[in-house]
Amino acid sequence: MGNRFGVKDLLLYLFLSVILVSVWLAMVQVDRQWELISLAQEQLETQGRDIAEIRRKVQNGVVMGASSSGGATEAAGGFARALAAREELDFARGDWLVDYFPDNLQTLTPILSSDTYATQVQQRVLDTLITRDPETLKWLPLVAESWQISDDGLTIRFKIRPGVVFADGEPLTAEDVAFTHRMVMDERVAGPRWRAFFSRIREVTVEGNDAVFHYEEPYFGSFELAGTMPILAEHFYAPYLDSVETAEEFNRSTGLLFGSGPYRLQDPKSWTPDQTVELVRNDRYWGPVQGPFNRIVYKVIQNDAALLTEFRNGDIDIYRARPLDYRELKSDPEVEKHARSLEYYDARGGYVYVAWNQKLNGEPTRFADKRVRQAMTYLTDRQRIADEVMLGYAKPANGPFNPQGEQINPDVETREFNVEKARELLAEAGYLDRDGDGVLEAEDGEPFEFTFSYPSGSDDFKRIVLLLKDLYVRAGIILNPEPTDWPLMLKALDDKTFEAISLGWTSGFEIDLYQFFHSDQTQPGGDNFMSYESPEMDALIDEARQSMDKDLRMQLWRQAHELLWEDQPYTFLLWRARLDFFDNRLHNIQRVTAGVNWPGLWRMPGEWYVPAPLQKYGD
Amino acid sequence: MTQYIVRRLLLMLPTLAGITVLVFAVMAMAPGGIGANLMTRGGDMRPEERAAMVAYLNKRYGLDQPMATQYLRWLNNVLPIGYETGPDGSRGKFGFKPPDLGMSFVKNRPVLDLIAEALPITLLLNALTIPLIFAGSILMGVYTARFRGQALDIGIGTANLALWSIPTIWMGVMLIGFLASEQYLKWFPTTGLESLRADSWTFLPSRTETGWQIGYLLDLLWHLVLPVFCLTYSGFAFLTKLTRSAVLENLLSDYARTARAKGVSEQVVLWRHVFRNSLLPLITVAASILPGLLVGSVIVETIFSIDGMGRLAVEAVQMRDREVVLSITLVTGILTLVSYLLVDICYALADPRVSYE
Repeated sequence: MGNRFGVKDLLLYLFLSVILVSVWLAMVQVDRQWELISLAQEQLETQGRDIAEIRRKVQNGVVMGASSSGGATEAAGGFARALAAREELDFARGDWLVDYFPDNLQTLTPILSSDTYATQVQQRVLDTLITRDPETLKWLPLVAESWQISDDGLTIRFKIRPGVVFADGEPLTAEDVAFTHRMVMDERVAGPRWRAFFSRIREVTVEGNDAVFHYEEPYFGSFELAGTMPILAEHFYAPYLDSVETAEEFNRSTGLLFGSGPYRLQDPKSWTPDQTVELVRNDRYWGPVQGPFNRIVYKVIQNDAALLTEFRNGDIDIYRARPLDYRELKSDPEVEKHARSLEYYDARGGYVYVAWNQKLNGEPTRFADKRVRQAMTYLTDRQRIADEVMLGYAKPANGPFNPQGEQINPDVETREFNVEKARELLAEAGYLDRDGDGVLEAEDGEPFEFTFSYPSGSDDFKRIVLLLKDLYVRAGIILNPEPTDWPLMLKALDDKTFEAISLGWTSGFEIDLYQFFHSDQTQPGGDNFMSYESPEMDALIDEARQSMDKDLRMQLWRQAHELLWEDQPYTFLLWRARLDFFDNRLHNIQRVTAGVNWPGLWRMPGEWYVPAPLQKYGD
Repeated sequence: MTQYIVRRLLLMLPTLAGITVLVFAVMAMAPGGIGANLMTRGGDMRPEERAAMVAYLNKRYGLDQPMATQYLRWLNNVLPIGYETGPDGSRGKFGFKPPDLGMSFVKNRPVLDLIAEALPITLLLNALTIPLIFAGSILMGVYTARFRGQALDIGIGTANLALWSIPTIWMGVMLIGFLASEQYLKWFPTTGLESLRADSWTFLPSRTETGWQIGYLLDLLWHLVLPVFCLTYSGFAFLTKLTRSAVLENLLSDYARTARAKGVSEQVVLWRHVFRNSLLPLITVAASILPGLLVGSVIVETIFSIDGMGRLAVEAVQMRDREVVLSITLVTGILTLVSYLLVDICYALADPRVSYE
């Protein structure tokens, strides 16, 4: 019996395993500290090199600042707003900005990344040639000092500002711009999304200090495309193009993010998705102002309840609420104490719509008749959806163009809810209640009944669709809601097997209608999945796309808007407002034409700051 | 015995092949197909990109080829013996090669890396949870049997049943809401496994100029309290009942009466005689531990924003990320089969009456 396993042995084994686990954990932590130490060492080395360089320059009697920073202040254009923020009396540098993502990031590496979260991070690390004033929406110089567009619109020449440097002190030149395009277009790189986007640019050549973009055909978006291409550092990324193996190494990377922007990754190579994203200020930033925050941290919080608690605890500085949440939290005295709310329309936020499929299995559907589509729009009480489902935090939409932008035609009215008019139009199209059961029938007696697909798992969509069902039945139309998973949804769009579908598109300042409404796009893979074909619309889109004259183009877009109103290929539903809370520590948050003056959104060091007495994180 | 083990090991191969064929077929037949990964999250689609993405994936992973070809190709990659595959997909020479679990379509990273990131976290959680559940259940089971019908038995039985009935998702949210919120009690951190600055801390608690700093180890444990509790509380009921019935049966048996009759103290009867003989059903249940160590809980991981195996697996299924799903199935399948074998061997060790000769 004495050699049997007893309680003492059990305790012993437990004790041993606790020690083993602790040793393992200690090793994990030492490993990570080791990484921190080697980073610090690297920083010391580069700083040493910097100092040596400066000393050399001083000894040689070079006048510092005249060429680089002097030039930058002179062209303060893009930095005017950021500079103004620094003039505020309580402005202080320091503290952290803690933001969150509701989902895991997959990669931060540019070209490979595909989600908006990675884009948000990249916007603070990578610079672009030009930026936009968030108030006037005018293009302003950033890395480019000036630009010229040829009369035919086929070449755009950007003069690169001297003195722009990457986060390691290497100068940014036109070569880097040309390299970025080469890298994006390299077939070995796993970036089909970026490639599809930038393939419109035929090539980028370097002429002295200038980067020249060449296009095959004139396109109104050419300038924006070239000017907002993030600039990658050739000396950092080029080694990955050496061979198929190194390209493969790049394709598998998750954290190769390095640029010339106001923030940078502590280590531009080793980030993996299991870590928090932490950006630190780029102390070598070339612009006249530095980023206000010491760090920008993005936590990943997937659970809504946990997210709300983190916000209430003050552990995150920004909270993007949904209508119901927002209304409740706004009047919560606890929240009021440490955060303020802001409702605004983001110029790049999207709209929600219903697409009516006009061709099913090659046969025209009942929605092929534009009177039916118009009637459906009359039955869609958008004001009520905005008021009841979105609690007033949305605006009815009548077209794809942003109400803040210039494309919208102000003369186009939004059809009001009107059952009578709808009934009239439906009767004209041959839909009448023939057997008196309250449901409309076509001439052949087929009842007006259709399935309505919408993304499952979205509470807002579900409530909208239930309301629509209720509204349509008043005119004798039966809607069968069909919540659909994303994979099935995409398949239904590709095969065009849906009857009506509700989805959202993201928007922009000036958008191109080609993808959605041109008849070329009715082929598989195109986004005109409702088979809307109108020669008139095609002509308008073709002309507008090729027109480099802005006034003429805006006129064409407005005509297209009118035509869309008449044809109703979509019933446009809503523009949704952003409902955000911001921690009271953050100062200088302003509403602007484009939405809110987010730091980094315009590739600027940012206008928000935390006054010294309110700072709560160190460096 | 050796012969038995070898036979069992060989039998595993067709079983595993069957499992993977089944999973492969289900993935292939799932509506939407691999195209699911074309979605960008949040419901927004960038129109230009979709067609390009489909063409690219077909080319890179041969998704446009017949299912059988695709399966054989995958099998060839996973096995340690087979044809080598060049970076461009060409077939090299036949022989031994490192097994390759493949690449995740969605994340474009080797599946091995993804598992290597998620597994330590899940192992850590389970290494704390499973012993807690077993220790707690055995203690409760033995004493509820010992005091059957008394207040202790009824109390523990009711409490366990009640705990078992509480959905984890509700419990987790309640715990965060009440124990990790400044509105009520801020005793525990809300999400994650470490504080934002834990990297720069010492391992054990230490004193700095600004006062005590709790250190990496305690910080981690502090973050683990709520998730581990959520994983643990509902596990007691089943094992406690199991232990209780086994112990009860043995307490009433002849040998227990004999032991008492010869004057052995009740404590010794309970732990040295009865408890040891009641272990058999627990060993059967323990079979689920080994694969269970790998399986994360997607609910707890999501509530507390921990990146473990549960989330990896569920996300992969949702996105139809075939290689990831297949790899996880394969690894779990192997572990399950191995643990069944181990249990059978343990039977022979624990009970001299069982033999496989």
